[in-house]
Amino acid sequence: MTYALVRRRPGAAQLDLPTFAHATGLHPELVRRFTVLGLLEPVEDARGEWWYPVAQVSAAARIQRLRAGFSLNYAAVGLVADLLDRIADLEADLRSRRSGD
Amino acid sequence: MSDSEDFYQLLGVSRTAGQDEIQKAYRKLARKYHPDINKDPGAEEKFKAVSEAYDVLSEPEKRKRYDAFGKDFRQVPPDMDPETYARAKSGGGFQSAEGVNFEDLFGGMFGGGFQGGFQGGFGRQPRGPIPGADQEAGVEISLDEAFRGGRRSFTLDGPEGSRTVDVNIPAGVINGKRIRLAGQGGYGSGEGAPRGDLYLVVHLLHDKRYQVEGRDVTVDLPLLPSEAALGATVAMDLPGGGEAKLKIAAGTSSGRKLRLRGRGIPNSRGNPGDLYAAVKIVVPKDLTDAQRKLYEELAAATDENPRRPG
Repeated sequence: MTYALVRRRPGAAQLDLPTFAHATGLHPELVRRFTVLGLLEPVEDARGEWWYPVAQVSAAARIQRLRAGFSLNYAAVGLVADLLDRIADLEADLRSRRSGD
Repeated sequence: MSDSEDFYQLLGVSRTAGQDEIQKAYRKLARKYHPDINKDPGAEEKFKAVSEAYDVLSEPEKRKRYDAFGKDFRQVPPDMDPETYARAKSGGGFQSAEGVNFEDLFGGMFGGGFQGGFQGGFGRQPRGPIPGADQEAGVEISLDEAFRGGRRSFTLDGPEGSRTVDVNIPAGVINGKRIRLAGQGGYGSGEGAPRGDLYLVVHLLHDKRYQVEGRDVTVDLPLLPSEAALGATVAMDLPGGGEAKLKIAAGTSSGRKLRLRGRGIPNSRGNPGDLYAAVKIVVPKDLTDAQRKLYEELAAATDENPRRPG
């Protein structure tokens, strides 16, 4: 088996709420709830509609995994997700310092 | 989970462990192996295995049946006597008086068995598919591969056993860079759950001939005292293959660095690094009589002292 290497596409498409709900397999109401709780961060357009960057699909999956795996409430999921993001940023920073790029 | 692994062994507790001990062991392992915390490709499987073990051992009824019937307990009828079951099993399959095979009957009913780490353990309510997490694995790369790229095979463990993945390492990867293999990460749980991505984190192997900093590479360039004093054109092997001719100016001392612009590690998205040849004057260990005589003449004709400035 040979797998192609794929780069992340920065600035890729954004999804409206129903499309995002479909992509994540979540009920639209649950997507709305995650958003109000600050767990998902869509971009709001001039009409007040929410648009979800594609990267938020994996964020939604992580919310589900953390909640199911640790029986966390949503406030705690937000805290853990923020800490994991900070660790990922620090690790990326460390890697780029080591590589000198 | 592999069939040979016992739920108690998975959690690292004895068969007589109390519920508190089982819970404590599980919580610790869950924190260690949760795929959003542990990026190792084997972590998700381990997490699912300890979750399954906890799912069974944390419920007294299930635990009792697991203790009596082992890992097949889900296939055993509720009022079955353990000794009868053991006898029937060693005799090759259990048949009821009516000739109905209980394994078929209950295997069909409980066919799905355990639904995966995220669905058991805590919530126990059915959920939709949960996509898999991204994973990371280290990959060691030689300087030659960093220059020229290459092809690598990896063996990764997954729910269907180990699998081999062939990866093209692109030219120009350096220490700490991540190579993304889309859809090769964690499996997630539930039917149709999309997989996460697998990232290979590059670790550049140390090569004693070269010092690497980012994309810049430094190599020693040994010169004879005469070459350094009089100037010369010398050939030098390049990392990644090939050769370059270097013009050494007369009066070059040790430590001077000659820059070969753009001959460092290539960069697919920008400027390549530079190659530095660091001059190192090497004196012949054994001089012939003729050489010694000439050095003596040279010494007599030299009144400079390199240890005094100016």
